Amino acid sequence: MRKLVIYLVDDNDIDIAVNSKLLQLAQIGDEIKVFSTGSDFVNSLKEDREETLAQNNIILLDIMMPGMTGFETIEHFRNEDEQLFEQFNIFMLSSSIDRNDIKRAEETPRVFRVLEKPLDVYQLKKAIEGLTLS
Amino acid sequence: MLNHKILYLDDEENNLIAFKALFRRDYEIFTTTSPQEAVQFLNENEVQLILSDQKMPDISGVEFFELTRTDFPDAIRVLVTGYADIEAVIDAINKGGVYRYVTKPWNENDLRICIENAFEKYYTKREIDTKSEELAQANSDLEKFIYSASHDLRSPLVSIKGVIQLAKTEAIEGKAAEYFDMIEKSVSKLDSFVQNIIHYYQNIKTEDASQIIDIEQLVSDVVNQYRSYENYDAVEIKKAINVTGDFYGDSYRLKIVLGNILANALKFIDATKTTKTLEIEVIQNVEKLLLRISDNGLGMNDESLKIVENIFNNRDNRGPGNGVGLYLVRDAVQRMNGKIQVSSTMGTGSKFIIEIPNKA
Repeated sequence: MRKLVIYLVDDNDIDIAVNSKLLQLAQIGDEIKVFSTGSDFVNSLKEDREETLAQNNIILLDIMMPGMTGFETIEHFRNEDEQLFEQFNIFMLSSSIDRNDIKRAEETPRVFRVLEKPLDVYQLKKAIEGLTLS
Repeated sequence: MLNHKILYLDDEENNLIAFKALFRRDYEIFTTTSPQEAVQFLNENEVQLILSDQKMPDISGVEFFELTRTDFPDAIRVLVTGYADIEAVIDAINKGGVYRYVTKPWNENDLRICIENAFEKYYTKREIDTKSEELAQANSDLEKFIYSASHDLRSPLVSIKGVIQLAKTEAIEGKAAEYFDMIEKSVSKLDSFVQNIIHYYQNIKTEDASQIIDIEQLVSDVVNQYRSYENYDAVEIKKAINVTGDFYGDSYRLKIVLGNILANALKFIDATKTTKTLEIEVIQNVEKLLLRISDNGLGMNDESLKIVENIFNNRDNRGPGNGVGLYLVRDAVQRMNGKIQVSSTMGTGSKFIIEIPNKA
């Protein structure tokens, strides 16, 4: 199986700290990358593009962020590099799940679920098992 | 009172002159024998009161009112009729939305009182309309505020929960672990209260949101949500799920129902029993979804049971207070056109039976 990289995109630094630690403890992913804004995340992808294409990528993307929201980040990413975008599996994160967000997530390509914070690693593990990773 | 405009339409010039002579000092009066001119005046002025003769050559008074009712719904209409023409009066009230009728020749005093009352009605109605609008706006603002405030409140709570979860996962021991448990318990309590507020507003805001639901997945998702709750590990949760065909329903509301009942069962376990059980039985077919949730917890005494039954049967409408969870359950069930029943015996446990129609 190819290398699994988890991208945590969240403006809340406590949540980033907690979630990345939880992921480490649960041994999810071979590498964890963290970003505090959607645009930082999208910009970072320009480097190591070939490498990124060759690995399994999962984004844990916070919905409510100042500047670009989670959904806007997806939109932006997709417009920037559609081919690379197709290589990503996305989970949206939210501290309170709104049914409009769920609906929107269902309509957005590559988004598999909306997960509630704090991250339930057990649930995430199950969800990742349901993905077809290469 | 120059802002009080009266339009009077009558084919008999003499009536118009007499009317004008009587009231010109009190009101701004426009009189005409032409219905076209009358409509034009209505278009150009805010008229509070329209008087119209019934018997006119081109159009009857009732017809004129009918014609102008849609465009000028707020104006008060008074029919002036020379005959004791009861048919016209009935029509006038039913079709033309007429406030009163005045017989010709009119009694000056009666007519004056009629006009005064008409203006009073006009302004009272306008005031009520304005107030209702303001009230609706204030209510909707309040709902929006509570809703967004609840979301904002949750965000830091969730961060705290995350940190606690982390602290508990990484070896903390002794007193510290105990303290973290205490913090977690309080935070969870606060959080479920905030969540309930969010659910309450989501529930009243949203109409039908039916979609295909994987019931088995939904049940296990909800059960999983409570993994960090107190007593979760002490309770043996048994699931029996029997599904035939697709189920169309509202997953958000189903989660509210199942989640709240589960939370209660976990809260009220009977510590004296060696095995604590929670059974979730699901039978779903093309017609409906049947949920039976039973526990062997403390159970309810007659008084508590009565309260719960009253909530479920709409006999208790004090609104969400302390037992907000059960109100949420009831409202969610009702909005899914379902039914809910409860039975309970002290010391033996409680059982909830919920039936939700399949929208397929």
